[in-house]
Amino acid sequence: MTELLVDPFRLPYMQRALLEVVLLGVLAGAVGVFVVLRRLAFVADALTHTVFPGIVIAFLLDQSILLGALAFGLLTAVLLAGIGAHRRVGDDAALAILLTSFFSLGVVLVSRARTFASDLTVFLFGRVLTVDRADLVQTLALAVLVLAVLAALRKELVLRAFDPAGAAAMGYRTVVLDLVLNVLIALVVVAAVKAVGTVLVIALIVVPAAAARLLADRVASMTALACLLGVAGGWLGLATSYRVSVDHGVRLASGATIVVVLVALFLAAASAAPLRRLAEGMVRR
Amino acid sequence: MGSEQQPLLAIRHAAVAYDRLPVVEDVDGTVGPGQSVALIGPNGAGKSTLIKAVLGLLPVVRGSIEVLGRSPASARSEVAYVPQADTLDPEFPVSALQVVLMGRYRRIGWVRRAARADRAAARSALEAVGLSERASARFGVLSGGQRQRVLLARAIAQEPRLLLLDEPFNGVDAVSQDLLLAALQRLRAEGAAVVMATHDLGLAHLACDEVCLLNRHQVGFGPIGTTLTPELLRATYGGQALALRGDAVIVAKP
Repeated sequence: MTELLVDPFRLPYMQRALLEVVLLGVLAGAVGVFVVLRRLAFVADALTHTVFPGIVIAFLLDQSILLGALAFGLLTAVLLAGIGAHRRVGDDAALAILLTSFFSLGVVLVSRARTFASDLTVFLFGRVLTVDRADLVQTLALAVLVLAVLAALRKELVLRAFDPAGAAAMGYRTVVLDLVLNVLIALVVVAAVKAVGTVLVIALIVVPAAAARLLADRVASMTALACLLGVAGGWLGLATSYRVSVDHGVRLASGATIVVVLVALFLAAASAAPLRRLAEGMVRR
Repeated sequence: MGSEQQPLLAIRHAAVAYDRLPVVEDVDGTVGPGQSVALIGPNGAGKSTLIKAVLGLLPVVRGSIEVLGRSPASARSEVAYVPQADTLDPEFPVSALQVVLMGRYRRIGWVRRAARADRAAARSALEAVGLSERASARFGVLSGGQRQRVLLARAIAQEPRLLLLDEPFNGVDAVSQDLLLAALQRLRAEGAAVVMATHDLGLAHLACDEVCLLNRHQVGFGPIGTTLTPELLRATYGGQALALRGDAVIVAKP
């Protein structure tokens, strides 16, 4: 067991990668709870694609990728909040248009770079093993910021998710709360882009929270469980990809391996949930 | 109602719009402390629209609506709204007590957590609807009637002076109905005013002393005994009202 879970992390680059996925596991798990409770998985997925051109532009201009992604994340968060106003188009269609147009813009831009193919791969799928100290500091700063906002607005965000009409009747501006949540999702995408890429970050956000939703019946326990599963998936995924690569000479992409492990954890939760309900029912009777 | 007493809710020839189109017009009447008014009318009559306007969530395009002499939006802290329980996700991971505690959020304020006094208020509100022993049950495992009582408890925890309810007795069992009626009666005895949209004329008689008949405009507003007449009900429901032996009226459920 230690051979799998501890030994790979004697190497400095593996330690940095582990620290990065642990931070991301907690961050994405905590935000993912609200994404799942609000049924915003598709919105979050759109955000992961719309920050892509921001990353590419920043890369081509040799600027901070964080700032590029942030600018497009905020732009999308604002556009998404406005989308609800157009009833004839419908949320889903508007989202799809936004997602694909921004994403194509990113692909068009990246195709102008000479190192097109390898760059595109990094943006789309990440490269967690090359995470350096600066990346870690950045992820930590984003995690502190996002978790602080989530903690501060927790009760209002839960009320908004549970009973939007009731929240509005109490005088809460639900549009503002929605905008804040969209910005937080965008920040998580930004934080995770280097490690797992824009395509797989949605798994980090949605899968642990969805698994936790199956097992928990309080928002607090769901949050704890989502963070725990996110961290476990990251750790186990990294360790697995290392062991398989080193011992069997089969190179496994670490980001994708993490997602595969997360999905396995979700399936385990899904098969455990009916058992739990059964036990619950027997206790009540 | 005594003229020396300021009405909690004053509606003056009001028209309320949804998407700039007036949905309900010519509503006129006042509700004083301790009074209870049933909003009665067919689906689409404008009952929910009127409630949203009193909450300040829809614009009054003609006339006026005042709550405690103020605009509806600025009086929200004195008003509690009870939605229909079955509009809420039964799988949502919150306990009954946590739902009731939501009624304290505006008092607690941003960032801060619930204090001991807020928890005590939530517990006593839950007790007022007879659900103390289900405080830690998940909201969704409760029966429809119990969920409706939890939502009333949430409104009680807000300590409102005006209570607005949307179809509070839909799908509610007899025990829950009696407990809801008793809790509403206590609130009124303490001086709160109650306005409820309902399809159920029998329950309107039990829960309210005044009635406002609506069908896109106000057909009648007044004491339930003199306003809930066959003529006015026929005017409110049109073809859905059937006369029985001349004086009774049955309203076909839409």
